[in-house]
Amino acid sequence: MASPVTTLEQQRSSPAVPVKGVRRRRRPKLTGWAYAAPTALFVLIFFVVPVILVARMSVSDWGLFTGDRGWNAPENYSDVLDDRLLWPAVWFTIKYTVVTTVILLGLALGLAMLVQESSRWTGFLRSSFLVPSALGLASASLLFYALYSPQSSPLGFLGIDSFLGTPSSALWSTVVLIVWRFAGFYMLLLLVGLQSIPGDVYEAARLDGATRAQTFRHITLPLLKPSLALCAILCVTGSLLAFDQFYILTKGGPDNSTITIVQLVYNMAFYGQNNLGRAAALSILILAALLVVNVLQFRGLRGKED
Amino acid sequence: MRRILSAALAGLLLTGMAACGGDDDGGTAAPVAGAGVEGVDDGSELTLWTRAPLELQAKALVEAYNAAHKNQVKLTIVPNDDYVAKVGAAAGSGDLPDLFAADIVYVPNWTKSGLFHDLTESIGQLSYADKINQGHVQAGTFEGKKYVLPFVLDLSVMFWNKKLYKEAGLDPEKGPTTVDEFKQQALAVQKLGRKDVHGTYFGGNCGGCNVFTWFPMVWASGEEVMDPAGTESLLDGPAAQKVYSTWRELQTAGAIAPGSKDETGATWVAAFQEGKIGVMPYPATLLPTASKTVDVGVTAIPGVTAGQGSTFVGGDGIGVSKDSKKTQQAWNFLSWLTSEAAQVEVLAKNNSSVARTDLVDNQYSAKDPRVVTINKAAASPQSKTPVAVNFQQAFNAPGSPWATLLRNQVYGDAAALEKDNEALTAVLAQ
Amino acid sequence: MRTPQHIVGGGLAVLFLSPLVWSAVASVSPQAGTRQTAGWGFGNYQTLANYQAGIGQYLLNSTVVSVLTVLFTLGVSLLGGYAFAMFRFPGRNLLFLVTLAILMVPYATLLIPLYVLLNDLGLQNSLLGLALVLTMFQLPFAVFMMRISFEAVPKELGESALVDGCGSFRALLHIMLPAVRPGLITVGLFAFLAAWNDFITPLVLISDSDKAPLPLAVANMRQQVMGIVDYGATEAGVVTLALPCIVLFLALQRHYVRGFLSGALKG
Repeated sequence: MASPVTTLEQQRSSPAVPVKGVRRRRRPKLTGWAYAAPTALFVLIFFVVPVILVARMSVSDWGLFTGDRGWNAPENYSDVLDDRLLWPAVWFTIKYTVVTTVILLGLALGLAMLVQESSRWTGFLRSSFLVPSALGLASASLLFYALYSPQSSPLGFLGIDSFLGTPSSALWSTVVLIVWRFAGFYMLLLLVGLQSIPGDVYEAARLDGATRAQTFRHITLPLLKPSLALCAILCVTGSLLAFDQFYILTKGGPDNSTITIVQLVYNMAFYGQNNLGRAAALSILILAALLVVNVLQFRGLRGKED
Repeated sequence: MRRILSAALAGLLLTGMAACGGDDDGGTAAPVAGAGVEGVDDGSELTLWTRAPLELQAKALVEAYNAAHKNQVKLTIVPNDDYVAKVGAAAGSGDLPDLFAADIVYVPNWTKSGLFHDLTESIGQLSYADKINQGHVQAGTFEGKKYVLPFVLDLSVMFWNKKLYKEAGLDPEKGPTTVDEFKQQALAVQKLGRKDVHGTYFGGNCGGCNVFTWFPMVWASGEEVMDPAGTESLLDGPAAQKVYSTWRELQTAGAIAPGSKDETGATWVAAFQEGKIGVMPYPATLLPTASKTVDVGVTAIPGVTAGQGSTFVGGDGIGVSKDSKKTQQAWNFLSWLTSEAAQVEVLAKNNSSVARTDLVDNQYSAKDPRVVTINKAAASPQSKTPVAVNFQQAFNAPGSPWATLLRNQVYGDAAALEKDNEALTAVLAQ
Repeated sequence: MRTPQHIVGGGLAVLFLSPLVWSAVASVSPQAGTRQTAGWGFGNYQTLANYQAGIGQYLLNSTVVSVLTVLFTLGVSLLGGYAFAMFRFPGRNLLFLVTLAILMVPYATLLIPLYVLLNDLGLQNSLLGLALVLTMFQLPFAVFMMRISFEAVPKELGESALVDGCGSFRALLHIMLPAVRPGLITVGLFAFLAAWNDFITPLVLISDSDKAPLPLAVANMRQQVMGIVDYGATEAGVVTLALPCIVLFLALQRHYVRGFLSGALKG
């Protein structure tokens, strides 16, 4: 999401020639819409309409089994805010997001620097780091579920009693899974950023007698900012919506210590309360919160570029 | 282009919402009881949903039915944890299968929500109606109408490992008759001091497991777990407290296998089957499986004082869905399901418990005295199926108030009982 | 200077690969509570192969869903990316942002409305309906990726095509398409991986065992008995699910790395 802004800005300042070329044609607006129509139809039918239905559920007394039983706003919203698990879930989700984003991006950057040059050896390393990205998140979670289970775990030598038994071990065990699964993907995105930094910039720094640390701090990091920002946005959004990994590994336990917000949505809908109205209300709140977070991240990014 | 899109949007919204309104009343289906006690067998295709852990029994039943009938039942297996989501999605848009099974503790909620067809009249026509397991029938009764019959029975009983008992100097033929004896026997096995062998095990992070295994200990002591309406928790009574303190003492003594604290129920029966556990309350359905690897002793779950013992009459009930258009054909399956042909020649033959009291003694149970013990336990007046509309939310859901209560009682602050029990009542009473 | 870097890199590679290797080894090694209790062998894979409709049916279903999803995603995002990159039309930015907003909704919430919707469209319980929904979930990444791929095409190329009097569609087909091929491969690969591995969408949308894709069957198989997880079958399932993905991933690696590189991701 970082790039559309930049490219939009670029286009505004220097209109791309193809756009001009097309504009010369008879009805460019219609042509543009014609190409965008399939996207628009998909988004409309399979996304906008369901979201509207979710919004309607959120203001209705809507049971999982009973269906719509009429308007009840704003009861669902106030019930959600009164839920005993809401604030612990919000807090845990934020904590998880911060921990994951920091570790994941740090490691991904390290990996990207490690495999920056191309040789047969770094090619092998790149592939090794990337291979976990080929697994589905659910498959990866199942793999680690077996890896952590006392019944089948080969990790006994680590001397860890229980990988999922205490709140902090459950959190860290899940973070390990996520870092394993996603580090390669973010490494790739950062690698792209690294390789776009022109070699002569480094050359100039070297001639100026800059140390490696100085070069990293004053050249690599600033020039890498757009790529880092893109990774951060993807990682933050993904982590705030974390579900599969906790659903498979911890079910929110122990003692409700690892319930994420989306899991709370799932629990409201399908575990016990069976209240779609309430689940929908919380989903709408999440959507709103994420829109705000992403707009802020956009703004922050744009500000830095000006 | 835009106009077309907005028209499409409006149309979709309208139809989408109409279908969500629960406008299906099954009005086109013939009355279930209209076709007599056996229903209709006219070569219709029926759909049946059940959760994955019951696959073995469900498959055997469906295969036997299909072989002997013109109607053909098509079975769909759904992962256990996602069964409610699946049924919920279908129920909301009038798309339920003809027949579907449900964990018996969820049945009161689902009958109240109107997911099942009224079977009162049809059940009344069965000559053996009063012999069908009353726990399940009661759970499936709402406002005087009967909606559900037992599909597969799952009972909880005490299992012990005879080999480990012998080595620990215990009588391998005698299981615990009181909660205290259970504790002593578990401690004795623990004293063997063998690596990987422990006195007992339980699902320390699993509400559903301990509903199944601890409630009978309370019932066997002559007490109740809830009021008859299922809206108030009585799990702070003297017998319940004795049960909690027993498990807490076992935990303190290190006699519960490690891993129990984060056992969410996914693997709570595995350790016993691997011969690593002395004695524990266990699902009776698994006797044949466990017997493959362990020499198992079986008795009813004991209470605080010696007596008849008790069991949790669990498992799944089954009914005809509100959306079925082939109710008379679906009833044909249910009528057959409760007949001797299905109960004895399919269920008993496959070592499952029968759901009719008049069929408890059959040629298959006669072969194994342990099966007789299990069937007797099921018939004990202290064996029950608890009924509460909010059962799932109060007891089974991950992070339920019951899970909090039992974890505090075994691992945490035991003084929190009163507060935890109130939280439980608050959910039940909603 | 170089050696410590080799050691760190090698160590990390081992760390990243070991869970996969372990899973593959564990799936054929003896383990209590699985089909493979003594000796090494493929007992767990036999469980998988003979489960319900048989693994052939599940693999076929998964393949059909994945191929359909890839085709839909490629088609829609190729045209969409072209539109966003090359044309200005009213509602362009709004449509793009709404497409990206798909990423911001918890997908578990959308499934019930989608279920209702597919019923109305007559696509309930069908692999086609499932593929359409999975395509929708792919669009944010796919349209974004294709947009930056088109934007990265040298301007002269598109210009020359149009100046030659080429229609915009012929320009797309004959001149732009080869230029954005790495982007298409990236998009197609990610659509395939997502469709192949998704579990919760088919769980809600598919009711027929004969139409279930492989992840659903693996989930069912994991817990055939209450209170027991068949770890052997789970591991075999993970390996079976992962193998085609890994092979495809490695085979196409050069292309999709180029797909990322070619884009305006450079910021």
